[in-house]
Amino acid sequence: MTVANDMSLFSLILGASLPVQAVMLILLITSLFSWWYIFIKVATIKRAEKESEEFESAFWSGGELNKLYDGISSGRRKPQGMASIFEAGFKEFVRHKQQGRMEVSDVMEGSRRAMRAAYNRELDDLDAHLPFLASVGSVSPYIGLFGTVWGIMNSFRGLSNVAQATLSQVAPGIAEALVATAIGLFAAIPAVIAYNRFASSVDRLSVRYESFMEEFTNILQRKS
Amino acid sequence: MIRKHENSDSYKAGFYALAVHAALLVAMLVSFNWKAAHPVMNVTEVELWDKLPAPRVIETPKPEPVIKEEPKPEVKPEPKPIVKEEPKPEPKPEEPKVDIELEKKKKELELKKEKELEQKLIQKKKLEALQAETREEALKDKAAAEKAQKDALKKAQQEFLDEEKGNDDKASSATNASLVGEYTEKIKAKIRGNVNKTLCGDGNPEVTFAISVLPTGQLSSNPKLVKTSGNTACDEAAERAIIASEPLPLPSDPALFSQFRNINLKFRPND
Repeated sequence: MTVANDMSLFSLILGASLPVQAVMLILLITSLFSWWYIFIKVATIKRAEKESEEFESAFWSGGELNKLYDGISSGRRKPQGMASIFEAGFKEFVRHKQQGRMEVSDVMEGSRRAMRAAYNRELDDLDAHLPFLASVGSVSPYIGLFGTVWGIMNSFRGLSNVAQATLSQVAPGIAEALVATAIGLFAAIPAVIAYNRFASSVDRLSVRYESFMEEFTNILQRKS
Repeated sequence: MIRKHENSDSYKAGFYALAVHAALLVAMLVSFNWKAAHPVMNVTEVELWDKLPAPRVIETPKPEPVIKEEPKPEVKPEPKPIVKEEPKPEPKPEEPKVDIELEKKKKELELKKEKELEQKLIQKKKLEALQAETREEALKDKAAAEKAQKDALKKAQQEFLDEEKGNDDKASSATNASLVGEYTEKIKAKIRGNVNKTLCGDGNPEVTFAISVLPTGQLSSNPKLVKTSGNTACDEAAERAIIASEPLPLPSDPALFSQFRNINLKFRPND
């Protein structure tokens, strides 16, 4: 009867059967990617919130809209978030106005459509990677469970050749198998938390963009 | 995979992701005691034998009591008669009630006592010298005896080991009969130790029981009486002894166990 004395993490991983090792590798890669995306999203969402804050304060400070537009479009960087919506809407409005012979409602409709398109592009950027996080959060526990079930199946199959079954014969196999579940949970838990957090942040941002769109349409209507 | 506007963050985020995993790995390695402790490993298995394999081991312990007995009669008989006889005359002379005589006698007594004390001191010194000599002798004898005993034990062990090796070789060459016999003897010895022998009378009755054993040494069912000894009390005592001696000693080789699954135990409780 051999008792596996060495239960170090590495021996547990190296001693696992090939499918279990493959599952562990997949889960490790998923976990790395999900954390990578989490950090990227934290940075981008934080930046989007800051920028919309700055833009709103600049917009409502009562300055000339033309000046604001020039400031945004002349910048080296492509405008993002609320600024890009404003740019698209104002550009369309000015273009329609230059043509001169258009109905007010058509002008408003055109600028509204342009703003809507910019808004959708912005929202798409904000939503990026969230589906990945959602699927990692829901699927990786199952992948880990699959590895665990496979490992436990193997360790029990080994038991059938032994006349006297003891816990020490099954325990190492089960410990190896459970490492897969642990990795799966480690990948899933932060992904789920991050997904929920980011989803609510994106929702709040999109509501903010939409209300800005409405208010800006009103302002444009008054101008025309 | 990565949007344009995310390029600036991607390296930083990748670094953070790796850092998180490294931190978790370190935390797991540090906080968990991954070495499984097996306190059971320190327990040594001891086999108790009814009959010692080598007769020499029994012979050698004998010199010890012989040596110990010798010094005692030498030392003790000498002082006791002298010391005990002399104090006895002391109280007797005190009985007369005349003062002068008493005083005289007291003086005489004191003189006597002094003399006795001197004698006692001399005797004590002699005794001590004698005792020291005898002790040294005893120590020497003891050391020699112990050495002899140890040598004998070593020899016995060596012989025993050789025998075991021989047994193993034989066992590997498919003659397990000796091992089976050995274990049946062990089972019988264990049961015999649990029999209430007073119930079996003075004779040497023989009982036969059919028992079925689990791999753990437990009985799978109650022992069945195959051949009675003629004395029901003795049979019952034997049955109780069989049940009491669970788990029965079994060979660790599972291949041999098949021969122990159902055995007919024929044994004499009074052996």
